[in-house]
Order: sequence, then C-alpha cells, then structure tokens
Amino acid sequence: MKYELVSGLETHVELATATKIFCSCTTAFGGAPNTHCCPVCTGQPGALPVLNKRVVEFAIRAGLALHCKINTVTHLDRKNYCYPDLPKAYQISQFDKPLCEHGYVELESGKKIGITRIHIEEDAGKLVHDRGFTFVDYNRGGVPLIEIVSEPDISSPEEAREYVEKLQLIMRYLAVSDCKMQEGSMRCDVNISLRPEGADYLGARTEIKNMNSMSFIEKAMEYEYSRQAEILSSGGKVEQATMRYDEHTGETYVMRTKEDAQDYRYFPEPDLPTIIIPEEEVQKAQASLPELPLEKLKRYRDMLQLSDHTARQLYKYKAVCDFFESCINSGASARNSANLITGAIYSRFATEEQKEKFSLPFDAAQFAELVKLLDSGKINPTLAQMTLSKMLTNGGKVSDYISTEDVKGVDEGELEKLCREAIAANPQAVADFKAGKEKAISALYGYIKRATQGKADIRAADAIIKRLL
Amino acid sequence: MSISVDEIKWLAKLSKLDFDDERAAAFSGDFDEIVEFADRINSQIAGDTTKIREVGGSEIAFADLRKDEVKESLPVEKVTSNVVSEGGYFTVRRVVK
Repeated sequence: MKYELVSGLETHVELATATKIFCSCTTAFGGAPNTHCCPVCTGQPGALPVLNKRVVEFAIRAGLALHCKINTVTHLDRKNYCYPDLPKAYQISQFDKPLCEHGYVELESGKKIGITRIHIEEDAGKLVHDRGFTFVDYNRGGVPLIEIVSEPDISSPEEAREYVEKLQLIMRYLAVSDCKMQEGSMRCDVNISLRPEGADYLGARTEIKNMNSMSFIEKAMEYEYSRQAEILSSGGKVEQATMRYDEHTGETYVMRTKEDAQDYRYFPEPDLPTIIIPEEEVQKAQASLPELPLEKLKRYRDMLQLSDHTARQLYKYKAVCDFFESCINSGASARNSANLITGAIYSRFATEEQKEKFSLPFDAAQFAELVKLLDSGKINPTLAQMTLSKMLTNGGKVSDYISTEDVKGVDEGELEKLCREAIAANPQAVADFKAGKEKAISALYGYIKRATQGKADIRAADAIIKRLL
Repeated sequence: MSISVDEIKWLAKLSKLDFDDERAAAFSGDFDEIVEFADRINSQIAGDTTKIREVGGSEIAFADLRKDEVKESLPVEKVTSNVVSEGGYFTVRRVVK
C-alpha cells in the first residue's frame, strides 16, 4: 500500500529584542554563564514579571505578515513542568488565547500551509551535562520566543523545507529575528503521521523535537516516513511518541511515549494582567509592514526585468536587497547592478552567512557610481569588473581606480585605427570569420583589449570591425 | 468530588515527589478539602474561569507595557549565592542518563 505523509511544524523563533520578555536583562547571545540574570529570570520568590512591549509588537508584525487574525484581548498562561532549565518550574506561555491565529504561508506552488496560531513565551535556560552533574545557565532563560504552529498541511520533506525557508526569510525581512538555526534562534518540532493514499483521517503521529537545520529536517522526515511505512505495511501500529533525531546515525529514536506524555496543567498567569491592544495599533503595524519576500521576488522579475535566477539570488538575502535597492535608487541600472553583485561580489563570499551579512569595504553609493559609468558606456564591462575586484580587495572609491582618462575611453578615430591594426595582425581569424565562423572575431577583440588595457568599448569596436570587413 | 489515590500518585509524579500508599491516602483526604474549597470559589463566579482575571481587575493597555531598555543584571556571585554552583553555573544532579 502507498502511504501519504501528513506533517505539521511547530517553529520557535527567538525575537530580536534588546531585553528579555519579562525583565530588563539583555538578550545578547553567549556571555559568561548566569551574567544576564536577575531575580525575575531566575525565578526568585516574590519577583514579578513585567511584559516587554516590543515582544508584543514583533509578534503582531509576524502574525500580520503570515496573514493571521490578531487577538486584541489576550493573556498569558502558566505551563507547568519540572526540569532544571526552568527555574520557576513553569514556563510563561499562552494557551487558550494566543496573540495570533488562522494565518498561512504560501509556497511557490501556490499551496497554502495554514498557521494555526502564534503565541509568545519565554525561552528556557541552557543545560550542559558533564560528569554526574547538569550545569545550568539561565542567560537564555526569559529570552522572548514566538511559537508558530502550522496546520498538518505539509505533504513532503521538500514542502517542509520550503515552508521553513519562507518563514525564516519573512522573519528576517520583518527584522523581528535573525533566525540563525545554527545558533538556535530558530528551531522546529516536526509532527509526522502517515495514512493510506487518499484517506481522509489522520494516523498516529510522532513528534521529532528541536531540529536546528533545514537538511536535518528533511532527512529526519524521510527516515521517519520509511520507519512508519514499514510498521504499517507489516500490519503494526505506530506508537504516539516524542522523538529525537540523531544527526550522526541519521535515525530517529524515542524520547518518551504517550504514557509519559507531559501534563502541563495550564492555567491563567496570575502575575500578569490581560493585555488590551487597540485596533489602531494593529492597523499601524499592518501599514508599517515592509515589502515581503514573494512580493519582492515578483517585482524584481516583473518590474526590474531580472531573470528568475538572478532575482532569486538577490531576494534570499535581506542585506543584499537593501544594498541593491539603494544602488538602483541612486540611478544605477538594475541589470548591471544585479549582475555585478551576483557575479564578482558573490564570488568573494564562501558562505551563506557572509551573503546574509553582506559586509563590503565600500558603500552602495560608490558601487552605484561604478555601475553608472558602465551603464553610460563610459567604461566597459572588463574595466568595471577589474575596478570592482580592486575595490573588493582594498576598499576605497571608484575615483581611486578609474582616472578621467580611463572614463574617456578610446576615441572613435583611435578605435578605428586599432581595428584596422587588429584585422591586419590576424589574417587567419579574419579569413575564418569571412568563411562563417562567427566566433573567430574574438581574436580581434582580444587584440584591442590588450592594446588599450581594457579601456576600449568592445561593442563599438565590434561595429567598426564588421563595417571594415 | 473526591480525588483518588491514583490521581494523587500521578500528581506526585508530576511534582517529582515520592509518595507511598499510606501517604497518598492521607493526601487524598486533604485534597478533597482543597477541591471543595475551589468549587466554592467557582460557584461564586458562575463557572466562568475568565472571571478569575476580572476578580483581580487586572488589565494593561498596550501603551503601558514595559519599554525594551536594558538594565544591569545582577553580578553572577549574587545570582548563585544561594545555590550549589561551579564556574558560574547552577549545579544540579545530572538530569539525563
């Protein structure tokens, strides 16, 4: 029998606020253990939580960008569990009245993955297990999170990956999180069940906790699909369980079964008042949403006439988009700007992280100046590439590398003279060209480039050569 | 409503407490009294738990929430002054095998 995969994701995203959700300690990553702590985030008796306004603002932005309804009257709840990563023995989260509900993420195929809810909550501390002890660092305890819960609308590991990538990009565009999976500021729990193809019921599901890489999510889902399919095919029953993925073996293993399921005994958090959000605040947040990734991709393709490939290479990185747009706003052409960014500049960046940061030794204005020289034909592509390469290595301004003489290029009389010389010096190439070998003409271009050290306009030279021949 | 010995044992497990049968039976009686008291409170608020919040009368306007401004944290020595600690970490018995 063939089985179809049914999956939903719970995605935790750490919010990029300056302070924790319920106290004024910094959220800075790292730091010596327990140096970003106070009586509130270490759960001292009598200490009272005070909600950070920006957490609510960021969560509303995230909700609106994911097409959610915002609950303007909302409250927090206690989720009880006893584990040393929570000093209070409960986590302050949201249960029956999440801040956002009923949204969706649209995939490239047009399929919509439903968002059940987005709620705000506090992160737990970090545990290090060594010798006979567990060492606890509460620096991360109280860092604000949103948990984005999807509907079980995901039907393949590829869709799961696309969904997570889209979420990540949207959150980055909104500047509510850096979503660095490798640093844990974005992590997913993946729920998986199987059912016979075409069936309309849901099978018993397993949940793989704390996935922190796109490729592990895909691999874990593939493994779990095979494991469950094998059980079902042999007439067995999948046991509802919470699992972990072992990235070394590529297998999932059971953490706890249904019998050990947590009973969180949620109840309303008595230390925090109900939050009343005026409708105008929601409208203000809606109006302030930036252009979102899919809209940007469409605009780059349709309005700026970039190829799908180039547009995708740009829109994946928010910092690159900002640089590119600042450049074209200064009057540089989209096409030349995009080509130089995705060509010469990207070749200097080995990792995705470097592209995300997009740190350059010159600003967009300098880059725009170079592109405009190219756009106007005052310099040719070869000189533009050479100059950009020097700017990437040494920084500085365009004028440090291109003189007024260079910008003048080679005048028409001089260029024609050079073309005649090139023809005379390359009789074989000329004969080949005349015999129909179009490419043979490149030997003549090479002659002119060498003679002018790249300053000549090859398009102009091409016209002259063809006229002379 | 009465709380069974099994329910007491389940709650004890969640609370990481170790109860023998005798102790669990004693707690069962105590819990009955507690639940009865809670029922009396519930009857006063007509079963609508959202009213628990109204009893406290606590609401906060969005504009009055805390500003996102960092204040100094406590020195680590103070944070760990009442606990077993090593290298600035809180140290507890190992929780994973």
